[in-house]
Amino acid sequence: MSDPLLTALAYAAGAAAASALGALPFLRKRVLPPSWLGWASALAAGLMLGLAYTILVALPPNRAPALAGGAALGVLLVAAVARLSAAPSAPAEADAPAMGRLLLSGAVHAAHEGVAIGVATAVDLRFGAFMAIAIAVHNVPEAAVLVAGLRQRGVRLGEAAGLAVTANASQVALAAATLALTVPAPGLTPWMAGLAVGALIHLVMTELLPDSYHHAGRTSIALVAVAAMGAVVLARGGLP
Amino acid sequence: MNAHVPTSVLAVFIAALITALATGLGALPFAFWKAVGTSAVAYANALASGLMLGASFGLVAEGSGVNGPATMGGAALGVLAIIGADRALRGVEARPGRERASGTRRMLLVMTVMTAHSFAEGVAVGVAFGGGARLAVAITLAIAIHNIPEGLAISATFRPRGASIAACALWSIVSSLPQPVMAVPAFLFVETFRGVLPWGLGFAAGAMVFMVLVELLPEAYEQARAPKVALLVSLTLVGMALAQRSL
Repeated sequence: MSDPLLTALAYAAGAAAASALGALPFLRKRVLPPSWLGWASALAAGLMLGLAYTILVALPPNRAPALAGGAALGVLLVAAVARLSAAPSAPAEADAPAMGRLLLSGAVHAAHEGVAIGVATAVDLRFGAFMAIAIAVHNVPEAAVLVAGLRQRGVRLGEAAGLAVTANASQVALAAATLALTVPAPGLTPWMAGLAVGALIHLVMTELLPDSYHHAGRTSIALVAVAAMGAVVLARGGLP
Repeated sequence: MNAHVPTSVLAVFIAALITALATGLGALPFAFWKAVGTSAVAYANALASGLMLGASFGLVAEGSGVNGPATMGGAALGVLAIIGADRALRGVEARPGRERASGTRRMLLVMTVMTAHSFAEGVAVGVAFGGGARLAVAITLAIAIHNIPEGLAISATFRPRGASIAACALWSIVSSLPQPVMAVPAFLFVETFRGVLPWGLGFAAGAMVFMVLVELLPEAYEQARAPKVALLVSLTLVGMALAQRSL
């Protein structure tokens, strides 16, 4: 596939579709043990930190000011959205607004990952493929946590899997939008890369890690997160 | 050994001594307040977490530029070193009669925990110098700032038991003395055997990332408002990582 836009769309769609795999553990268990959910969040967190690192080192050092500006925007954007869409107050709340907030949180999360896929594809197609595969892997444990929340609220498994994929549709849209912006205006690439880095890191710090520490012991969380980070860095060979 | 090494050894020693002296700054707030709130310690730990994670990105980038798998192997060893130290310290903490520990024993325990961590931090400073001045400045800064809340924790234990501010500062510095002690041999080792540099850089990165994830961050989230902790960590992490790229 030579058209970068189509390539980014295909990569992001594949990553979003992988979210359905997050429903698989629920075929064997109706409710997952809390520690599994903690480890799933830690795995997702470690993968995201590793991806943020790969984007940071993919751009030349002289683009650091634009990267910094974009990263600050990314952090502040995630912080603002987190304030607006506060988490559901009761864990098993079954009302529509609570479910909506859960899905919105997933969609916002996925949107920044879409920016990361778009930016990586703009840097080069192989990096885009790497980013999409890593985000697809990351989407599986993340979707498992989302499906657990939906199942708690009485949603059927098939429906929950479908909703997890739907929540990641924003990934496809943002990957395409990012590439559509950066191809005609390459000067925007470090800004968008920074935005993705800031957002990915802040999502880890504001959602994934605090959530994981609630569900499992801190040593196991640290081990899972650091192993996932290391795997991403190793798979990328450390440097682009 | 070439002519520049003595100067570099001195620079390594001074940098690691500065990180140790920074621990003494943890006693300063007690000159103004009788006690320091847990949220202040949490925000200090959040700041240190962001700096240490950002500095680790620099270590990994530097090491991977030489040998990616060796850097990751070193990182795994760094994680194992911290797990081993924590296991050993847990044994000390779980010793019979610990729950009735006297003030002095409690003070000794805090000192033991902090001093044990300083060994890995000293290695980090030493190997960072092997990776160049840019990396050395970043790691020295990150560890110096990380040491301040450690000094705060020591002073918070010593001060209520009648220790003077100067004594609190002194004991805090003593807890970090393994840093200059370990930094110099670590630097000489990676300078002499350049092949082990990526292992050393990875070791430092793995130890620091694991320390942040297993201790600093969970404690910060527990002791202060998580969104503020997260914002502080994210901004300092990005700032530190990018500062190293542009230096």
